Amino acid sequence: MSYDKPLPVKNPDTAAFWEGCRQHELRFEQCGQCGYIRWPPAMLCPRCHSRQAERIVSGGRGTVFTYVVYRETPHPAFRGDLPYVVALVELEEGPRLLTNIVGCLPEQVRCDMPVVVAWEDVAEEVSLPKFRPAF
Amino acid sequence: MLDAGLCNYVLVSYGHNGRSSDSFLRMMADMGGDDQVFGHFGAASCYALAARRAMHTFRTGPETWKHIAVGQRKWANLNPRAMFQRQPMSLDDYYNSRMTVEPFRLFDNCLISDGGRAYIVTSAERARDLRHPPVLIMGTGQHNPASDLQTADFMTGSTGAKKAAERAFAVAGIGLGDIDACEIYDCFTYTVEITLQDYGFFGPGEGEEWFKGGTIEPGGRMPVNTSGGLLSEAYFMGLTPLTEAVMQLMGRCGERQLGPQTNTRTPQIILCSDNGGILQTHACHILRRA
Ligand SMILES: [Zn+2]
Repeated sequence: MSYDKPLPVKNPDTAAFWEGCRQHELRFEQCGQCGYIRWPPAMLCPRCHSRQAERIVSGGRGTVFTYVVYRETPHPAFRGDLPYVVALVELEEGPRLLTNIVGCLPEQVRCDMPVVVAWEDVAEEVSLPKFRPAF
Repeated sequence: MLDAGLCNYVLVSYGHNGRSSDSFLRMMADMGGDDQVFGHFGAASCYALAARRAMHTFRTGPETWKHIAVGQRKWANLNPRAMFQRQPMSLDDYYNSRMTVEPFRLFDNCLISDGGRAYIVTSAERARDLRHPPVLIMGTGQHNPASDLQTADFMTGSTGAKKAAERAFAVAGIGLGDIDACEIYDCFTYTVEITLQDYGFFGPGEGEEWFKGGTIEPGGRMPVNTSGGLLSEAYFMGLTPLTEAVMQLMGRCGERQLGPQTNTRTPQIILCSDNGGILQTHACHILRRA
């Protein structure tokens, strides 16, 4: 069956992130001047306005900063997944990613719970970084 | 603009057919960007993320929010313009409303409405000759943290409400103890809690204790959202709370009028809020009877 959920819409800001995902790497830009990791992506550092940046790759570990459990959804393609968990995961490197928590029941998710990336290959050239409990 | 003499009257209006068309929901869906990839849509789910983190940070949750939903509904039941005028809500009704995006139930969410609101701002001098008694702006303040949800450190307070209120109170030259009622932007129950908390009515986690016993209801010691608000009257953005404050101070609120008939203080000063994005912008206004 073909994948009927929305796919990432790449733009000049996000293309590098999604290209990294395709290779199962969480790539971010780190400010060359002050060290701040830019996420969401930006052409300038929001802290010091420097344009210099170096690529880093996250180790894929973090904690659940916060989460919600969808008991209903406006998008038909997600109805089969109900109830599903959307979370902000705070990576060890700092950035918070909006993602899904998979591999456990929604009732088992907690704030500050340790999680690790679980790649989901949804289309030929698209992989999504989801997270599962790290035990 | 009024002070600079560029104009004499400013009309602020809002109208929308959000309920009978799908334009509101389409607008929210278009805002999602790549969040949609993970099945994340709309504002409710973003506020629910903030509310869940708050539940982890201090004592809050449905036990606190039920008092807000039920208390505001009692005001709506006195308001002939309220969408929920004829439908009372008990604490059980609150708990029995369906889960939408946990931790929110249906009755933690505001309405989507057809209709509109408007008000006119002019100088105190011009207002003197008008048909209705004027309401004066004592103080106003804004604070807009405005960063993306991923980098937001304000989800559990301080939101923009804190600095906005500090400015408004400084301009007005009064304190919290001078406030007779509040009209608070209430897109979700949690928004009311975090706003009043940041304004200093209670400390983090003390909301449940503060709200319980009918504090914000008819007969309560601090009436809040006396039209029913966005939760139980109608959604007209920040104009729902602001216009209600003005009408209350003018004494034009009929059955729900603050004062002896609702067993509350006759209002001299009302505190109002407006809020935008996901707690990303905030305006605070202090209004008084002329
Ligand atoms: Zn920098």
